[in-house]
Amino acid sequence: MDIVCANQRARKQGVVDGLRFTDAKARAPDLTAAHADRAAEAQSLKRLAHWMVRWSPFIALDGEEGLILDTAGCDHLFGGEAKMMKAISMRFDEAEIPHRMGLASTVGAAMAVALCAKQGVHTILAPGREKEGLQGLPIAALRLSASSLNRLRRFGLTRIGQLYDLDRRALHRRFPSKEAANAVVLRLDQALGRLGEPISPLLPNPRFACRLSCAEPLISSEGVAAGLETLSDQLSAALATSGQGAQRFTLHAFRADGTSALASIATARPERLAERITYLFRERIGSIDPGYGIDLLMLTAQRLGAMTESVAPLSAELTGTRFDPQEASLLADKINARLGDGAVTIRVPKESHIPERDERSEPFDGEFPSHLAPPPQAGPRPLRLLRQPEPLQVMAAVPDGPPMRITWRRVPRRILKAEGPERIAPEWWKLSEKRSRARDYYRIEDDQGRRYWVYRDGLYDDGRGGPPQWFLHGFFP
Amino acid sequence: MNIMGVRLVKASTLLPSRQAVSGEPSFPFGLARSGVQEVAEASFGDHAAVTGFALAAAEKAGASGVLWITGYRQSQEHGRLVERWAKGTFASSVEAVLHLETRKREHILWAAEEAIKSRAVSLVMVETEAPDFTASRRLSLASEASGVPAILLLPARTEGSTAAQARWRVASGASLPNPFDGQAPGVPVWNVTLERCRTAPSQVGRHFTLRADDEPLSLHPSQGLAPDKVAPRAGEAFVLHRIAG
Repeated sequence: MDIVCANQRARKQGVVDGLRFTDAKARAPDLTAAHADRAAEAQSLKRLAHWMVRWSPFIALDGEEGLILDTAGCDHLFGGEAKMMKAISMRFDEAEIPHRMGLASTVGAAMAVALCAKQGVHTILAPGREKEGLQGLPIAALRLSASSLNRLRRFGLTRIGQLYDLDRRALHRRFPSKEAANAVVLRLDQALGRLGEPISPLLPNPRFACRLSCAEPLISSEGVAAGLETLSDQLSAALATSGQGAQRFTLHAFRADGTSALASIATARPERLAERITYLFRERIGSIDPGYGIDLLMLTAQRLGAMTESVAPLSAELTGTRFDPQEASLLADKINARLGDGAVTIRVPKESHIPERDERSEPFDGEFPSHLAPPPQAGPRPLRLLRQPEPLQVMAAVPDGPPMRITWRRVPRRILKAEGPERIAPEWWKLSEKRSRARDYYRIEDDQGRRYWVYRDGLYDDGRGGPPQWFLHGFFP
Repeated sequence: MNIMGVRLVKASTLLPSRQAVSGEPSFPFGLARSGVQEVAEASFGDHAAVTGFALAAAEKAGASGVLWITGYRQSQEHGRLVERWAKGTFASSVEAVLHLETRKREHILWAAEEAIKSRAVSLVMVETEAPDFTASRRLSLASEASGVPAILLLPARTEGSTAAQARWRVASGASLPNPFDGQAPGVPVWNVTLERCRTAPSQVGRHFTLRADDEPLSLHPSQGLAPDKVAPRAGEAFVLHRIAG
């Protein structure tokens, strides 16, 4: 067992990270320790990251204990970079989260500065001054692997500045592999801005966001609803100015205690009407727990698209139909908001003569397939089709003939009328269908007037398994 | 196959027909036109007939947009509606169908109520277990307020009181003889009983034998040439047909 993370008081007694637990116990006999829970830590870091969205929408996780914020364009909202960092630091102190912060033009440099910063001291490296700023910092700040660090130390390289003028080919010779040497060079170049470093943001970057800070923390969902109304009005106006709508809206609620909650809705087609946004959120607002009070609400719009403004007919009689896809997509949005995205579906016809592949369920996205392919020329088709054909016990007069008696769901039924067979061959051009057998379908009616669609799977002596099996596949009205 | 369409529903009545009270609606008593009506299986296995009856009624009423809500259990038990085939045979007037399949009954009823209230569709079909009186009352009130009809497709064990406008009981009947093949099933027949009806109380208990005539454009063999099996179209011709397209 090793020490993963020691607190301030433990460090004073000589307990440092990476020490064996027994050694630590020897140095500080009254040491209390708890097992590290990586999953919970990752979870809480993520929670913290979600809460940090209030400072900048562009946020990413870095390793197990780092967060990266892109503050470009956000700092002026808080009165400049220094004031922003101070404000963040204050909120962290309030939540008793020990932290170190740094700000620079590259991720590498910012991380290096942050790793070497002292608690409460925030270093800001001006753009273009990374080289000077990093010069005196230890190489450990470069986020290198432990073995690379050891190797560099052995060469007497301890400061980042010492790496600047190093002959890179010489570095390659001293490392066991080219990759290990390249990693050092890569990290250095990234920190100095010679190479870019991509960040994958935690949340999709919204193009539009509206914020509402509350002087008095909100403690009820009525308050949240009222705030949402104000925000959706603002967002709607902003979207209207740009002539766009969005298909996804997310409401972030930041609580005073450093936690956050979010709820989002999706719409079938781009939307920007404030009433509709609030209407759809009505089902979701209940999931936001105000906790100790919400001090900031933020509404963002994602998945932007051009609004399709359709002209509704003046009167339903003119078109002869009472059906309006736009109305339908509003209804679908409402249902999806409560039952989950994609709950409302439409059936899209497919080019296949295998009955179960004839049409597919797809989430309703506001449009119906414009042209329904005419049904292929085929025999009668049932109204309802079982998801899985159910096995039958069948008695037939001749092996190839229609059934005379069937037992389905343990009930024997006498068949009076039968029509068939209609042979449906497998789609042999598909690899997955190689072993499928031809099906002979019959339309049958029992003595109680119920009409079924049954098939014999396979032919006698088709060389694809044993004797054919019977299945019930669908029902005629 | 694509010329099929249900043309004619009522053929004859089995019970001596009672005198209809003037002012009462006639068959099909507002099914798929107004209010909430229940269509229940007579016994397990008649669900396909229930579906066919409801679709034929929707077609008669000229419903254009339908929200079809199915309980997960119902679709496991009776299979899913194949929209393409249903449209080809029974419901060619229906332009668009939205499908919703969900497990919980309260979600089904909530979605049905929202759909009725929204007026986005012209008919709501709900396949579920029989709702209790309160739930069916809610749906009925919503339907009266918005004018959007709903049909509940219910299992055989549906019993007891309901706030719905009417309850139908549908059983499959032996199909008519097929004029082209004596061995094959012919035009489907449904035996329908009107179990309850608020708008036409005098008609409660009436039986209707309905056949779904699906061959409007086919050639009928003329009398004399035809084999004996061809049945004359018996009964009062009560034609509620759409214009064959």
